[in-house]
Amino acid sequence: MKRRKGKYRRGWKENIQIYGMLAPNFILFLLLAVYPILWVFRFMFYSYGGLGSGEPVFVGLDNFKRLFTNDPIFWKSVVNTFIYAAGKIGLVIPMAFFAAMMLNRKNLRGAGFLRATLFLPTIMSSAVMALIFYLLFNVYNGEVNKYLSLLGITKTPVNWLGEEHAMLTVIIIGIWGGLGNYMIYFLAGLQGIPEDVYESAELDGVNWWQRTWYITLPMLGPVLKMILMISIVLAFQDMSHIMVLTEGGPVNATMVMFLYAYQFFFPIAPGSMVVTQFGYGAAVSVVAAGIVGIVTLLYLAAARKLDKLYD
Amino acid sequence: MKKISYNIGKILIWIVIAVLILFSVYPVVYALLGSLKTNAELTLGSGILPEGFQWGNYKKAFIDSNFLEYGKNSLIISLATMALAVVTTSLSGYILARFDFAGKKLMTAAYTAMMFVTIGSVALYPITQLLAKVHLQKSMLALVLVLTGAQITNVFLVQGFVSGIPVELDEAAKIDGCSIFRIWWQIIIPLIRPILGVIALFTFRNTWNDYITTLVMTMSNKRLTTLTVAVVQLKYSVFAAAEWHIMLAGASLAIIPVLILYVFTNKQFIAGLTAGSVKG
Repeated sequence: MKRRKGKYRRGWKENIQIYGMLAPNFILFLLLAVYPILWVFRFMFYSYGGLGSGEPVFVGLDNFKRLFTNDPIFWKSVVNTFIYAAGKIGLVIPMAFFAAMMLNRKNLRGAGFLRATLFLPTIMSSAVMALIFYLLFNVYNGEVNKYLSLLGITKTPVNWLGEEHAMLTVIIIGIWGGLGNYMIYFLAGLQGIPEDVYESAELDGVNWWQRTWYITLPMLGPVLKMILMISIVLAFQDMSHIMVLTEGGPVNATMVMFLYAYQFFFPIAPGSMVVTQFGYGAAVSVVAAGIVGIVTLLYLAAARKLDKLYD
Repeated sequence: MKKISYNIGKILIWIVIAVLILFSVYPVVYALLGSLKTNAELTLGSGILPEGFQWGNYKKAFIDSNFLEYGKNSLIISLATMALAVVTTSLSGYILARFDFAGKKLMTAAYTAMMFVTIGSVALYPITQLLAKVHLQKSMLALVLVLTGAQITNVFLVQGFVSGIPVELDEAAKIDGCSIFRIWWQIIIPLIRPILGVIALFTFRNTWNDYITTLVMTMSNKRLTTLTVAVVQLKYSVFAAAEWHIMLAGASLAIIPVLILYVFTNKQFIAGLTAGSVKG
């Protein structure tokens, strides 16, 4: 039975302990999560270049006017973010699902080893790995082009980091780093499906596709919904491998929203010049956060509709 | 007939798994083996195995590029962040699971909202300004605090885990005269060790691998540069751009420690993610 609120009275000594024990985490939360958001909400109305460039000047909605009417690079970064997220999620989710289905079979020898191996990339630093991919995807001596020409797939070397293909390369690396995580999520979901459902289906003589489509996927519904949610939120935020590998280039071909906002505050590459525009950067990051928020809400609404379909 | 198609299906499945495994492992193996090649082998693109093992690359990375110093920074910062995260999340998670208090609803709502609101690494700017005001911006403590952060997901993980422990245990201890803090320390902590282990592992990994936060926080304070940041910086130095063998030796130095940690703890890593997904 649940204790009714207020019935249980505590002494002040206990209250001090309770609030004292909550404090360390709560203070970090206020300073590192809440304060920065309040800061950008204030400075999005200012023109401010930082120390040495004079005091912040209140400019009202000027930053937003510039953002919405006169900043093609920002809108390119928005489109790029959607392309990246769609490409990554669209490929990594089916791949992870397939891998989980395969590794969930009961009589599979070495399943633990295979899972650990597929999970391996997720423990690596995406920034350090971006350096390694820089070598692998190198135009002239890169391993990727070497194998492609060896297999006779391409005749001339593909410029993986050029304007045309850089986004694809960045998506491939994103998939490389995320596959293991999603596979494990799917495995957890698959293991939650009771065995007897499959046994009765077996008696009815359904094949593999029917079983997957009519039993596994619907029963995986809630887990799938959560995995998609996580993958959306994360894909829209990915930037450290992009920052190291392409620095958003060439010609902004891989510039994503949060990297674009970042470059108004800090240099993307060490040594490169950065003209700090904290006010404008604040406006960009608020709009970027808003876009992610809208996508998340739309997804939640769509997911709810999907639930109703099954009822 | 059925048997044959079954076997073909099985072979196809194994081919796909083999491709996925190769895709996952190849870049790591390439880095580790590449770190033992000469620069000429790397730039001319030889086979995957080195012609001779150039252990000198590591010596060069260790001594000339001062990686030992960066490695030490990485280790201290990661361990400290890990410890702080475990303590703060277990305290908050325990209180949230067991007590009602004024402002609890508001706090839970704020935490939940912040799981989905993100302004990205831009947040680091106001934070560094704040730290500068209290003259903390150049200390290791500041870096550790920022890297620890609020760990909201982990707080909720602990909360969920504690909720699964019978409350009678707390009550018995309370009757014996235990304070709340002591119940947490002597009864709860030992019982929630599995979830704390997972939080520790993931926090260690994330801190060790972090690039952007550490980069920003050490920009004006090179003394605290970590291994990950130092290795990535090699890409930008004229000296190393042509010296890919040193870059790969550095990258290997940055990934080998987590690799070793992973080999010994991969079960916990995987269990942690599955536990999180079922509860979350």
